[in-house]
Amino acid sequence: MTLAELQERFQAGILSEEAIAPRFVADSKRTNAETLFAVYHNAYRLRLAEFLSNDYPVLRYYLEDEDFGSLVEAYILAAPSRVRNARWYGARLPEFMRTHARLENDMQAIDLARFERALADAFDAADGPRLSIDVLAAVSAEGWPSISFKFHPSCELLDLAVGTAALYEAARDGQELPLIDEGEEHILFWRSSDHQSSYRLVSPDERLALIEASAGKSFAEICSLLQFQGSGENVAARAGEFLTQWFAAGIISCLALDD
Amino acid sequence: MNKPMPLGFGLGLRPVYYRELLESRPNVDWLEIITENYLVPGGRPVAMLERIRADYPIVMHGVSMSLASTDPLDFDYLKALKKLADRIEPRWISDHLCWTGVHGVNMHDLLPVPYTFEALQHVVDRISRVQDFLGRRIAIENASTYVTFHESEMDEWTFVREMAKRADCWLLVDVNNIYVSAFNHGFDERQFVDSIPAERVVQLHLAGHSDAATHKIDTHDQPICADVWKLYEQVCRQFGEVSTMIERDDNFPPFHELVAELERARSVYAAVVHSREETTA
Repeated sequence: MTLAELQERFQAGILSEEAIAPRFVADSKRTNAETLFAVYHNAYRLRLAEFLSNDYPVLRYYLEDEDFGSLVEAYILAAPSRVRNARWYGARLPEFMRTHARLENDMQAIDLARFERALADAFDAADGPRLSIDVLAAVSAEGWPSISFKFHPSCELLDLAVGTAALYEAARDGQELPLIDEGEEHILFWRSSDHQSSYRLVSPDERLALIEASAGKSFAEICSLLQFQGSGENVAARAGEFLTQWFAAGIISCLALDD
Repeated sequence: MNKPMPLGFGLGLRPVYYRELLESRPNVDWLEIITENYLVPGGRPVAMLERIRADYPIVMHGVSMSLASTDPLDFDYLKALKKLADRIEPRWISDHLCWTGVHGVNMHDLLPVPYTFEALQHVVDRISRVQDFLGRRIAIENASTYVTFHESEMDEWTFVREMAKRADCWLLVDVNNIYVSAFNHGFDERQFVDSIPAERVVQLHLAGHSDAATHKIDTHDQPICADVWKLYEQVCRQFGEVSTMIERDDNFPPFHELVAELERARSVYAAVVHSREETTA
């Protein structure tokens, strides 16, 4: 048997649901090949389950061990790891939950998973500069309409079922779990300057401003859109408030003046 | 062969101990990182490593090189590893004598190698290619294994010795892995130690394991057991002064307990040196 054949069969044995030792595995003096091969078979499942438990502790609490265990088992069976870092193994779990018979209609669980995934992704997203609001002092009155921004690489904006953030907090703190409502809430995730994953709810008009700003739109264009969407009379002041919050959170990495 | 200078007695750098390392400046000479934990775009791990490396020599220990796999070498991984090494300036880089998957799958485990002539040539070729790419010798660690293969044509220690000679690489000798594999496969651990070329050994690992009655499992979640301390003493006699560290990856004890274990390693080594000096005198 070639090395390639041996590895293919050994791996297939681990991936298969039943722990059946390939014939080329030898017994030891103390025990049989089945018992020894099972060390690898079990370790594979335990390790991947541990990766998922580490990334989704609140989902695990919310679903409780039986349902979380069944989800993890199904995910491991359906999705052998193709990533070198354990951190990325569970990236597709929220997406997978939409196809998992026991959870496909449980929007609370799916959005809780998306919430935790966003926190995990913010944790080790790329580094980037964090500009202070002082940079705005250099912008002339005429320059204001054309300024545009780049956000910190850790920023992510998600639309989740209403109440997901409250559900996350309650589950995290072991409190009674609230029910989610119809509709959406918008949550901005980012990594703060002390390396902690952070989040906050944003209003529909701030969500719009974030999307437009992320797309490189100018301050004037953002204000026009807010005006169009009916964000009140003084849209420039409203956009200014957003900007102040973004600088305070340290999520503006670049300020450009489009001459 | 100019071996890197011995670094003394170190620990594995784990996030649970970041604070103690930075604040209490314990008696730890150097630190080993799990390379993959720092091959992330950014954030706390990389920032902490940058701070800690200002105070401690660093060694990079990987689990993804998959040197025995019949899949192609992953040059994206090697490029990322090289980039991290350029930034961190580790004293050396190590990985394991194992494979971690085929057909693009990562089993996230250190899978066992059949000790055949084909596997030997395959591993030697791949170590050589990796060393050429990185522009430096790497250290290869003996893994704990739970199975043996009917296909094997030589002992593990013969394989390791030949691999090191033909690939011209360093060796990282894991004392606990020798003990675990010797128990599981019924060989004499002293024979393993006697067969290893001392001039290639740049590092030792010490760790704890779990006992499953008919076999032992390398879990890194227990204190180092008495038998492994005894084997470490023999290793010290055989290899002399070698950078030594303790791996702990789960069931983390208070930091001072790990430092106390490290003190014990220092004492074992000092006693071996002392008895050697007395014999010489």
